[in-house]
Order: sequence, then C-alpha cells, then structure tokens
Amino acid sequence: MSDATLSSAPALDLEAGRAGRRHLISRIVIYGLLTFFGIIYLMPLWVVFFNSFRPLAEISANGLIAFPQTFRLDAWPQAWSEFCIGGQCAGMQRYFWNSIMMVVPATIISTAMGAITGYVLSKWKFRGSEIIFGMMLLGVFMPGQIALLPWAFILGKIGLANSVYGLVLVHCIQGLAFTTLFCRNYFVGIPDDLVKAARIDGAGFWRIFYRIILPISPPILIVTVIWQFTGIWNEYLFGVVLNSGANQPITAALVALSMSGTTVRTYDVMSAAVLIGALPPLLVYFFGGKYFVRGLTQGAIK
Amino acid sequence: MNFKSKVALGAAATITAALLSGTAMAEPKVLMLHQWASGNDAASIAKLGEMFTAKGGTWEQTAIAGHTANTLAKLRADVVAGNAPAAVQLKGPEIAEWAATGGTADMDELATAEGWDAVVAPELLPVMKPQGKWVAAPMNIHRINWIWGNKAAMESVGVAELPKTWADFNAACDKAIAGGKVCLAHFSADWSDATTFETVVYGQDIDLYRKAFVEGDVEALRSEGMIKAFEQMKLMVSTYMDPAIAGRDYDTGANMMSNGDALFFIMGDWELGRLVSIGKTPGADILCGQSPTDWGGNGFILNSDSVVFFNQNNPDFQEGQKLLASTILSPEFQSVFNIAKGSIPARLDVDLTQGFNACQQQSQAELKGSIEAGTLVRSMAHNMTVLQKYRGAMMDTITEFVNSPEMSAEEAANIMADAVEAQM
Amino acid sequence: MAGGNSFWEKLKSWTPIFVIAPAVVASFVYVFVFSGWTMYISLSDSTLLPTYGFKGLENYASLWANRRWGVAYSNLFFFSGIFVLTTMAVGLLLALLLDQKIRAESFWRTMYMYPLAVSFIVTGTVWQWLYNPTGGIQFLVQSMGWTDFEFALTTDRKNAIWAIIITGIWQSAGFTMALFLAGLRSVDGDIIKAASIDGASTFRIYRKVILPSITPIFLAVAVVQLQSAIKTFDLAVALTNSGPGISTTFPATYVYDLMFQRGQIGEGAAAAMMILAALAVVLVPYSMYLGWRRRREVARV
Repeated sequence: MSDATLSSAPALDLEAGRAGRRHLISRIVIYGLLTFFGIIYLMPLWVVFFNSFRPLAEISANGLIAFPQTFRLDAWPQAWSEFCIGGQCAGMQRYFWNSIMMVVPATIISTAMGAITGYVLSKWKFRGSEIIFGMMLLGVFMPGQIALLPWAFILGKIGLANSVYGLVLVHCIQGLAFTTLFCRNYFVGIPDDLVKAARIDGAGFWRIFYRIILPISPPILIVTVIWQFTGIWNEYLFGVVLNSGANQPITAALVALSMSGTTVRTYDVMSAAVLIGALPPLLVYFFGGKYFVRGLTQGAIK
Repeated sequence: MNFKSKVALGAAATITAALLSGTAMAEPKVLMLHQWASGNDAASIAKLGEMFTAKGGTWEQTAIAGHTANTLAKLRADVVAGNAPAAVQLKGPEIAEWAATGGTADMDELATAEGWDAVVAPELLPVMKPQGKWVAAPMNIHRINWIWGNKAAMESVGVAELPKTWADFNAACDKAIAGGKVCLAHFSADWSDATTFETVVYGQDIDLYRKAFVEGDVEALRSEGMIKAFEQMKLMVSTYMDPAIAGRDYDTGANMMSNGDALFFIMGDWELGRLVSIGKTPGADILCGQSPTDWGGNGFILNSDSVVFFNQNNPDFQEGQKLLASTILSPEFQSVFNIAKGSIPARLDVDLTQGFNACQQQSQAELKGSIEAGTLVRSMAHNMTVLQKYRGAMMDTITEFVNSPEMSAEEAANIMADAVEAQM
Repeated sequence: MAGGNSFWEKLKSWTPIFVIAPAVVASFVYVFVFSGWTMYISLSDSTLLPTYGFKGLENYASLWANRRWGVAYSNLFFFSGIFVLTTMAVGLLLALLLDQKIRAESFWRTMYMYPLAVSFIVTGTVWQWLYNPTGGIQFLVQSMGWTDFEFALTTDRKNAIWAIIITGIWQSAGFTMALFLAGLRSVDGDIIKAASIDGASTFRIYRKVILPSITPIFLAVAVVQLQSAIKTFDLAVALTNSGPGISTTFPATYVYDLMFQRGQIGEGAAAAMMILAALAVVLVPYSMYLGWRRRREVARV
C-alpha cells in the first residue's frame, strides 16, 4: 500500500506541477492582455492630466505626450474662472453650473417617468401595450439633427425657447425611450404572482409601485441615472442651439476652447478644462459602475 | 479730420440722437448672435459691447463656438420659434436670402440720417441693401489677396522682393527649394484651400474669376483657364508646400512663415491681427503685398463681416438695433475694431494714419485704386458671391483636389463644374 | 352607493393609462410627427427655412448626384461594419478576461468603462492630439529613436477613417464589455458546475455552454452599436472635421451641413430620410426576428 502511494506520489506531483504551470501561464496571459488594453485606455487620460500641469511653451516644444518638466498649477484656475469665452473672462464655472441645473432635473424626471412607464408596460398590460412599447423604442434610434427644428418650433409655441426649462423638457422626452426600455425589461423579471397576490389583497396601482417595485429597483434606477446623466451632460447640439448666451451648457465652453479657428491653441488650459468638464460623469461612473453591470444583468439585454 | 467732415459728423450725430430719443420711453437693448466665441475675435466683439453700453444700451450676446453652421442652426431655431434675435452676424448672399424671407428690419431711416450711402464702399452697397433697403451694417473690409513674406527667409535664399506675377512666384519658389526652405506655408481646410485657389484664379484671369466664382457659370468652371489654374495649384501643393498640410491648424501653418521656416503665406488680412499680437512688425520683418497678379495693376478681393437686423416687436430691441447700427458704423468703432483685427474700415472716410499699420494703409490705398480700375471683386471662398450650395460644391472639389495627388487638373475642373451644375 | 363605487373603481382601473398617457403622447409626437415632418420637408422646396411647396423627388435626385454624399454613404457602411464587429470582439475579449476571477476586478472594469463618461467632442479633440504627427504618438516614438515610425492617420486621405474607427472603439468597447459581462454572469451556475464535474476544461465550458447561451445578447449588442455608428456626428466633427479633403464625411455631418450651413433644408431632410432608411434596414429584420423568437417560446410553453 505504502509502496503504491509512494510510487504514485511523484506522478501526482508532476501532474500537479504541470497544471500549476499551465495555470501560471494563463494568469500571465490574462493579466498581460488586461495591462495591454489598460495602457491604451489610460493613455489619453494621462496625456490630458499631465498637459494640464505643463506650461504651454513646453507643450509646443516637447510635444503633447511627455512628463512635465516644469510643474505649473496655473491652468486650473485659468480654466475655471479666468479664461475668456465669448467675450466674458469668467472661465468655465458659469457653464458648469448651467449644466448642473439642466442635467439634474432632467435626469431625475426622465428616470422617474421611465420607471413608472416601465412599470405600467410590464405589470399592467392592456391591449396595445406591446405596440406602444415598440413605438417608444423607436425613439432610441432617432438621429438628433432631425429633431432640431421641430423642437425649436414647439418650444417657441409654448414659450420655453431659449430657457433651461425648455432644454429639460427636450432631454426628458428624448431620454424617455431609453429609460422606459431599461426599466420595463428589468421589471418584466419581477414575478407576476407577487403583483397578483398584492392586488388580491386589495393593493392599488401606486401601493404596489411603492411597496413592491421600488424597493427592488435601485440597480436599474442607477443604470438609468448613469446613462441619462452622462448622455445629457455630454450633449452639445441641443444645449447650444436651444439656449442662449448666459444659459449655455459646459459643452459649449469646451467647444469654444478646442475649436479656436485662427488663434493659438492653449493646450494647457484646454486640458484642465476637459478634466473639469469630464469630472461629474466620471464620478458618477466611478461610484455607480458596479451597479451598472449588475443592473444590466437583469435588464436592457433582452 | 477736417472742418467740413466735423460739421457733417456733428449734424449726423444730432439727427441720430433725435431719431433715437424719438421713442423716449424705450430703453435700447440688443441681443447679438455671432460665432466669435474665443480669442482675438471675441475680444473685438467685446469692444463693440463696451461702446454700445457706453452709449446707454444694454448689451447681451450669444457666442456660438465651432463652425458657422452652429450659429446658423441657432438662427434658424430662433426664427422658427418666432424669436429672431435683434442682431445677427451674417454676410454675403445670405443677407439677400434672409431679406427675401421678409424677416429683416428696415434701417433706411437711420441710414439716410447718417449718410451711409455716401461713405460705405460702393461694392458693399448691393450686399447690405439686397432689395434696395438697408438691412445690415458692415463692420469691416477684409482683403483676401495678400501674400505675406518673411524678409529674413527670403533674403537667405536670394529672393529680393515679393513676387508680382505667378511666373515670379514659381521662380522664387524654385530658389527657396534650392535653399532648403519650404516656399509656401499652408494648412489644408476647405476654406483655406479655397482661399489660395481663388487668388490663383483671380491673379491669372480676372474675367474667369468673375464668370466662374461670382456668377457661377458652369462652362467657365470647366474651361481651359480653370484647368490652367488647377495645374498651378497642383504645382504649388506638390512642390512648393510641405507634405504635412492636412490636419494642420491655422496657427501652426502661419507660424511656419513667421518663424522663417517658409518664405510665403497666402492668407487674408486677419493674419495681420495675429502677426501684430505675436510682436512682428508688418512691413518690416514680415512683408505684405498683393498676391501674384499676371495682368498687372491693383487688384482686390473683398470680404466683409456684417451684422444683420431682424424685425422685432419689442420697442426696446428696436431702439437697441438702431443704436447698435449707429455704433457699428461710427468712425470710432470702425477704427478701434479694425486696428485690432487687421482689416480696414467699411467707411472710406476714416483716416488710417492714426493707429493703423503700414499694410492696412496700403490695403485701403489699393482698395481705392482697385475701385477706380474696375478690378474689385468679392470673395467666393469667404461667402460673398454665390449661394452656399454652389460654394459648398466648389470648395468640396478644391479641397479634395488639394488632398488627392492622383486627381488631374482636368478631372478637377470637370468635377467642380458637374457638382455645381447638379445643384442648379 | 354601489353606482358610486363602481364609477370610482372604473376610474381607478384607468389609472395606468392616465399615468402613461402624457409620456406616450409625447413619444408618439417625437417619433412619428418629427419623422413625418422630415419626410414632408424632404419632398418640399425648403431652402433657407422650412417651406411647404411640393417638389417631389428632386431633392433626392440632387442628393445622389452629389459626390460628397456618395463618399458619406459609403463611409457609413464601411465604418459601421468594422466598428460594430470590432467593438463586439474587443468587448467580448475584455469580458472574458474579467470573468476569470481576477483580482481587483472593479479597478480593471472602471478603467475600461470610463471612456463612456467622456463626451465625443472631448474624445475627438484629445485623440486628435495623439494622432498629430508633429506632437502626438508619431512624434513621441520618433523622438525615442524609431525615426521611421509612421502614425499619421488623420492626415492620410485614404486611412483617416481608421482614426475614427480606432477612437470609436476606444470609446464604446467598454459598453459592449459591460453587456457581455452581465450576460456571462447571468448564465445559470448549476449548468456550469455540472459541466465541470463532467470533466470539461474551462475552454470547453465556455465554448459549449456559456457562449451559446448568450447568443441573443450578441444580436442585441450589435443592434445598439449599429445605431450608435449610424448616428456618428460629434466624434467625426471633432476628430477630422470631414477631412482630409472630404474623405471622412459622414451622413449625419452632411445632413447638418446641408440643413444649416448650405441653406438646403429640403436636401438635408432627404439625406436624413436616407439615414432613417439605413436604420430601418437594420431594425425591421431584427424586430421580425424578436417576434419570431417570442412566438417560438410561447409555442414551446
């Protein structure tokens, strides 16, 4: 017995050794690939980050991709409160707050509307509800340029042209397709029996919503909030055209900085401005990223 | 300024003040829509705002960055919403198109009171008065057909002066190449390629320029003369410019000339504004001259920025428009604005010896000479002649030609003619 | 009493419809009225502003006679095909890598997904810096010694579109990765356990069990990516501005140019209708497939 085990032990070790090596090689390959892609993904961020600390003369001399030789913090306050955009030299902060005032209400309202509409279309089905869902879905695919003039006309007629409220309305309705899609597909996964039991118990439309649906919907609500916040924050065309002067969103400031036609490109201020402009959505993704995948696991991909 | 003009000015000011204070209770305010959102241009518009405010008006502006298309999109959105802005930066044939929609305001009363017809350059009048009535106020006159030369670079390769004809230009360039320098600084964008090309066409054959680029005649676009112009352009692109013109921005391209890496640069007079802002002395370090012209004599390709006024219901805006128009055409504004920008005033009676540099003074002198000689034309590349749909077709072909070494001159001429014809 | 109750009851049963009515009406207007208006305008004589005189198919004829539109439309197919396939391949690869029980998974995941938070304009601008031959990647590598290295895509007429493709993949692969990862994670754990007890290797499990069960996701991801590709606008404008020459014009950028720069709203609307047609070519078969699949599932039950 002991002879057998003694003689088979080295064979087992060899097997274990080979399996161990295979495992090590596969780990190296996996982490190697991850790092390779990681470098490509991070490179633009590094470039922008470093360039926001380099003086313009150094950037022009040494190219756009290099470690800072001189470290300067000037670009940041310049971008935030001193840079001249459209004749006013107050930097980006006004546009930043304009964007916040537009994006936060639009995100909240479109998410709420999407949740309720998704709830109805998944748990209170009626004749034609599938067709309505299909029609709303088409809204996901509409290109923006088509909607520009019709929206201008409608906003003009209801007196909301050139105001933040008008823009909030536009983004809510355009975002409704996405938010309804996400929420409905998620709620479909909630067992119908739960709802039926609640109705038998006498619970009404809103009661079921608050007691049953809402408590388990944080994942998809976070997905929706992330999606809407990012999309509306980064949107340029409608924000600029359906708005005026003092109310323009931050994307207008970014375009003013980056497409400066016949004047010098101020790469350092541009870098700082880009980082400031990207900060809110980046933070949203940073904190909500985990829920994004979790929420998608149960929604969107049906 | 002499006594007589002082009196005239004083009289005009009094009448204007009377007109403006006519609707006594209205407080003039204006909302101006324009595309000069950053840099020098924005600073110049800020000056307009300051002068407007100094005269008692409330100034508001919407500056839309990026392409002109964004500003025009906003204008359309506003008009469709029923909210046309009081003042918009528009130019060229678009002024006529918008006037034809009936939405523009009639500034004749103010124009007559201030005597605009007498002082504004005659070539601009049909543009500002498309249906016989004043609807726009010109801010400046830009000259397109300038060639800029770096004096030190030129001397280092043995070129004594700026070339006068295209044959001179080619000869000078051959010397530049022999001396190891780039001859012509350039950056490829649809408008800059078109700018260079139209100076070639204008310089070779002014009648061809008129027929092809002002009237949009398809046969002229297809003609032998046009093929010859494309051939000159091909020579320039392939040999006299450096290979990296695509994707380069204005500043980098222009710096090649001002640093001495290249001898020449063909560009409109806003280059003057840039040169002055980087500390060069026009006329001394950097020479300015009329771009090469084979038929000798004064030539001038004109571009003009202007502000169009749209009908307003609110009397405050109506007053504001009049105040703004009056401010724009005032000699003070015309001086201050144009000194900074590098262009010359739209009024011919402003004295350029106060604060304008040598090249600007030369520009005005040559403008007057060109008017007398009958060689003054407006610029196609800068949207002063044909409708945008034709201009777009022409510029697409020109920029494609510049970026396609395998396209022949004859092909290019035919493609351009076909493209314009397809839009008719 | 009873009459009052049943009236109230009836009203309450209509609550769902009342609640979604505004949203539904708004969506209906947004989708159908706007598209219908665009279709009418494409057949009208609109130039500077929308006008309503009927002009038939002339706008379409002059659109197709336009060289630049031909370039734009062929760019659309080329770009869309390569973009969709590559973002899916890269996304799948990254999702598979992340599914291997690696350490600090949320670190890697955030790194691949952060580009989604950035606006296309910013992405286009920053990548333009990287592609710049005299200051970007080419300059960097050459200054490190490899003087023959060339990476000047945005200045090369034939290959500039690859610049847009690469940057587009950088921006969007994180989203496909998230979708695939979610799909991989939602495969029933028991089936995997059963397969591994049977002795199948990891590779085999993936090939025979996991990937086939997420096949529906492939299609959904492809459709989402495709609609994003067809609507490409901000990225193209910020990165190459349709250059060099006119080689990277996209239909969406040309629609914008026609409508607002060139004062040809009628022709712009015709081009927009062509974009919608391209979308329909994708969507109609997909929705028919979905309907067929649903009917099959119902039949099976």
